[in-house]
Amino acid sequence: MKKFLTTAFLFTLASFAFAQAAPAAGKSLFEGQFVAHLSLAIAAAGCGLAQGKAVVAACEGVARNPQAAGNIRTTMIIGLALIEALVIYVLVAAFAIK
Amino acid sequence: MEHHASLLAQWLTHVLGLAQHPWPGFSHGTPLSVLERYDHLLNAALAALLAMAITTLVRKNLTRIPGPLQQVFEGVVGGLKDMINDNIAHHGEKYLPFIGTMALFVFFNNLFGLLPALSPGTSNWNVTLGAALVVFGYYNFHGMKEQGFGKYWLHFAGPIWWLAPLMFPLEILGLLSRILSHSLRLFGNIAGEHVVAGIFFGLMPILLPVPMMFLGLFFGLIQTFVFTMLATIYLSGAVSHEH
Repeated sequence: MKKFLTTAFLFTLASFAFAQAAPAAGKSLFEGQFVAHLSLAIAAAGCGLAQGKAVVAACEGVARNPQAAGNIRTTMIIGLALIEALVIYVLVAAFAIK
Repeated sequence: MEHHASLLAQWLTHVLGLAQHPWPGFSHGTPLSVLERYDHLLNAALAALLAMAITTLVRKNLTRIPGPLQQVFEGVVGGLKDMINDNIAHHGEKYLPFIGTMALFVFFNNLFGLLPALSPGTSNWNVTLGAALVVFGYYNFHGMKEQGFGKYWLHFAGPIWWLAPLMFPLEILGLLSRILSHSLRLFGNIAGEHVVAGIFFGLMPILLPVPMMFLGLFFGLIQTFVFTMLATIYLSGAVSHEH
């Protein structure tokens, strides 16, 4: 986990470094599409982790008790939709910025 | 944000000879006709008409030995009935017509993204907000009808009386933000999927968008399920008695 976070942080820094290569004159880096794309990337990373955890738990549950598969599947889909909604909010914000 | 009217709206504008003029504060002043501006309403109305036509067709031709279409709809109605009975304790089936209508409307709207010359009505926030507001009004109305006006609003205050001044505003805020989350989830999913399919189509119009369109079919179904399921859960939270 720690290693993953470090790598993610380094990648974020790298993207800043690349982005700073060509800053438009008189315009901050934290304006417009760049912010939209970066925030969507961060949100998607967090959502991926969270949904992965949810699916792992659901799979373990089904493997231990296959009879409960139907209930677990329904609950998992609802949970995934609720997690996904957070990324969707960022996506909508990104649409709004653009 | 650029506005891309569906081909059907553009074609209808051309055929009917509708006047095009710029709309203030919309799509950078591109001249658009009424149909192109309110494209999402055209598509939502078409989806609603299609849903009505198909259900009427099935209703008219009910037979003891079901044909293919009737079998599909029996499965849909049976699934919805099971879902409602699982979530709402007593007399849940009287809510089936409403829940089923919302499910069909959302489903046909989602699938319009896959048809050429049409765009999904649910990829515009106005349509999903309308659907979410209808669901919101419906479950509040039935909550008040089942529990009584005073009791329904009192249960937002929580069980502990001295926490009520804190709980009540929070619960009301939560209730109102449900509209936002319920509509934005559907809108964001369908709009995002449609945009990605459009980008793929721009890269290579043959074969490349097919996997994305399959994903669109799957997402349309899943999002319909989630929308319906959440509507059922909100409804069950509003109408259930505590005993």
